[in-house]
Amino acid sequence: MRAAPEPVGPPAKAAVKEGAARPSAVARVVTRVRQARTGGVLIAFLLIIAIASVASPYFLSAFNMQSVIRSLAFLGIVAMGQACLLILGELDLSVGAIAGLSGVLGGILMVWFGVDPFLSFVLGLVFGAIFGLVNGLLVTFLELNALVVTVGMAGVYLGINLVISEGKAIVDIPPQIYFLGQGIVLGIPMPFVIMLLVLLVVVFVTMYTPFGRYMYAIGNSREAAQILGIPVNLVRMLTFMGVGLLSALAGMVMVARLGTSQPSIGETWVLDSIAASVIGGVALTGGVGSPAGALLGAAIIGVVQNIIVLVGVSPYLQTAVSGMIVVAAISLDAISRKIAKARQ
Amino acid sequence: MVVLEASGIRKAFPGVVAVDDVSVSFELGRIHGIVGENGAGKSTLVKILDGVLRPDRGTVRIEEEDAFAHPRIFANVSYVPQELDLFRNMTLAENLFMPFRKAGFKDVLIRQSRLYAEAARWLELFQIDVPPSRLAKDISVSNQQLLQIARATANRLCKVLILDEPTTSLTTKSISRLFDVIRQLKNEGRSIIFISHKLDEIFDLCDEVTVLRNGMKVAYAEMQDVDRPTLIRQISGRDIDEKFTFRPRAQAAQDVALEVEGLTGRGFSDVSFTLRRGEILGFAGLVGAGRSEIMQTIFGYLPAKRGQVRLDGRPLRLGDTHHSIHAGLVYLPEERRAQGILPLLSVRHNISISALPQITTRGMISAGREEVLTQRIAQAFDIRTASLERPIMFLSGGNQQKTIIGRAMASSPKVLILDEPTKGIDVGSKTDLYALMRNLVEGGEVGIIFISSDLDELLRCANRVVAVYNGRIVGEFLTEASSKNEVFRAMIGEKTNGRNGPLQ
Repeated sequence: MRAAPEPVGPPAKAAVKEGAARPSAVARVVTRVRQARTGGVLIAFLLIIAIASVASPYFLSAFNMQSVIRSLAFLGIVAMGQACLLILGELDLSVGAIAGLSGVLGGILMVWFGVDPFLSFVLGLVFGAIFGLVNGLLVTFLELNALVVTVGMAGVYLGINLVISEGKAIVDIPPQIYFLGQGIVLGIPMPFVIMLLVLLVVVFVTMYTPFGRYMYAIGNSREAAQILGIPVNLVRMLTFMGVGLLSALAGMVMVARLGTSQPSIGETWVLDSIAASVIGGVALTGGVGSPAGALLGAAIIGVVQNIIVLVGVSPYLQTAVSGMIVVAAISLDAISRKIAKARQ
Repeated sequence: MVVLEASGIRKAFPGVVAVDDVSVSFELGRIHGIVGENGAGKSTLVKILDGVLRPDRGTVRIEEEDAFAHPRIFANVSYVPQELDLFRNMTLAENLFMPFRKAGFKDVLIRQSRLYAEAARWLELFQIDVPPSRLAKDISVSNQQLLQIARATANRLCKVLILDEPTTSLTTKSISRLFDVIRQLKNEGRSIIFISHKLDEIFDLCDEVTVLRNGMKVAYAEMQDVDRPTLIRQISGRDIDEKFTFRPRAQAAQDVALEVEGLTGRGFSDVSFTLRRGEILGFAGLVGAGRSEIMQTIFGYLPAKRGQVRLDGRPLRLGDTHHSIHAGLVYLPEERRAQGILPLLSVRHNISISALPQITTRGMISAGREEVLTQRIAQAFDIRTASLERPIMFLSGGNQQKTIIGRAMASSPKVLILDEPTKGIDVGSKTDLYALMRNLVEGGEVGIIFISSDLDELLRCANRVVAVYNGRIVGEFLTEASSKNEVFRAMIGEKTNGRNGPLQ
């Protein structure tokens, strides 16, 4: 971040003081990155990439890269949603269950009822949005704690999933939708393309719309936001709904990728999406960070998991390593904040 | 006898020297006031005296011993912060003696009966009339404040007690109770360091006073050798005439902006009054009289039981802050930190948050117009910050207050309600704020309701003052024609000849 081609401190500050001149575009990007606390993560990410490419010659191969970014896409989509909720001061522990249930419901529509596969795909997303909305309604109207509500609802969604599917995969998904999960556009896997579209939308909403500003404001202080006349409950509800929709999207794309609806889709996404957000600089206490940072966090998790496989470390060690990354990331964050505080 | 002595203390942070070559000593059995503007270095100095911060230069000696060489002896100094930080879900007794070992409970098991018996003594000493088994969250705010001081004192070693603005959220009655306790501690031979912005309290309580300005010690005096104007000049470095008034010109007052009729809500009933554009209406009353509740109900943050509020002649939908803001009614809460600022966001985003509709085109916030708007507000309201990108939590209290008033004005409101806007703000910044309010009102677009517990400040700034006692409006006074005594008697519930109901 420091190495950015931007004249050091004083000129930018002077511009603000004089009032007339606007900071340059570069300066604004630098501030954005700094505010979003993504600078350190970016460096860490590049460092890990460097280590990975030295550690294994296969890492940078086209085939491996494709597989890395394809699997990143799913966690990335969910993590960006989770980051939005964390910024708002909430969280959703049912993202995995929503992905699984929506995938199964979408699959059933296609296979058992012969509904048009694309329509079913969209209906799967609608189911996800509804599940998210239910979470949001419980949290806002009954003023329940999001952690407790979504743990409970995760159980409910998973239970419904198992009852309907009897724990078995829904097979014979119509091949028309396979390209959404398996296709490759200009060398880039389709799920990753979808993730990039989500990134665009989420970044636009969080950074350039009043709705996004309201999310940050509510995450900073719900009382202050209320007093500022921000429609607090509406924003919270809609965000829960959006997160449900994104989880379902990840679930449906996974169905398209596998060609079957597995009830177990999304199992690992809950904790990994929170971990990715934290690694990416989103505070668990709300109010700071950015979904793009969470995506970087997801990328770090994805690359590390990949390199573990490439260098032939026991797969049993993978879980431990993933855990260590999370702890290391939040420790680094805490240490850098301590240093910043000491400087204040 | 000198118990605590700091000499040649200097402490710098990047870009600012917080404390510069300050030497000061504290004696047993005396109350030593420390005064100064926000940012004068009081809290840095106190943190050094308490051993939390290490100075760049200089020494702290406690009973003749170099304290930073033997950090253990800092146990002699107890610091009571301004904000309450009790263990809310534990009993008073547990709060008092935590950590138990330090308070003399050395057994592995703590015997509840002994704990309560010991606690009862302390509670009695501090005039906290509550059983020691009660939870800290269940007692009144003033008792919590006293408990916090009791806790610091219960530590047996405590010879020096540092009190940082202990009275900000206390009623007049509990302040005098607190002062009794402080004097008693002094008579027991403890040394007390008392920090406050309220000069009345300094004169009332202290034996000696040290003034800090811009990190330097600019004056020290025995209390009997100094008068109020001198002290104010030392604090602010300029002449401030406390008699000077900031009342808006009477002819600035125009048509009625806000009408409240028979409003009844939590903690108050049957409140009626009117506010004109171009005037400042003061609300006087004791802490707990219901002023904040009335305003928060008008604003829609608290539910109303009965009554009507009209803004510009149109009825206001009660209980809906979103609607109030759009109708042009803005409320700035007393709890600036918890309810006013968005602490982690930049000054820029803190300002623009309430003006987003103005700077948004087709759903997208225009960075250029946001820049123009925030620059304009920052200049008009003289917000001093190194950069608008700085998180607002790092600004001084006065600058935070100016920022949120600027934010409120960015949405061009018709009525602005300021709830204790000068709380925790130094003399100089207060005067700036008075002038700012007058200028806003004389612009003729807005009417201001000004709540304050400082009657002098209300009489200096408002055109009219309404006195609230026990949830009811008990009188209304034209400030030009009323004495302080008159208003004061109304707000403590005595009968007065102050006219009831709105003046026309």
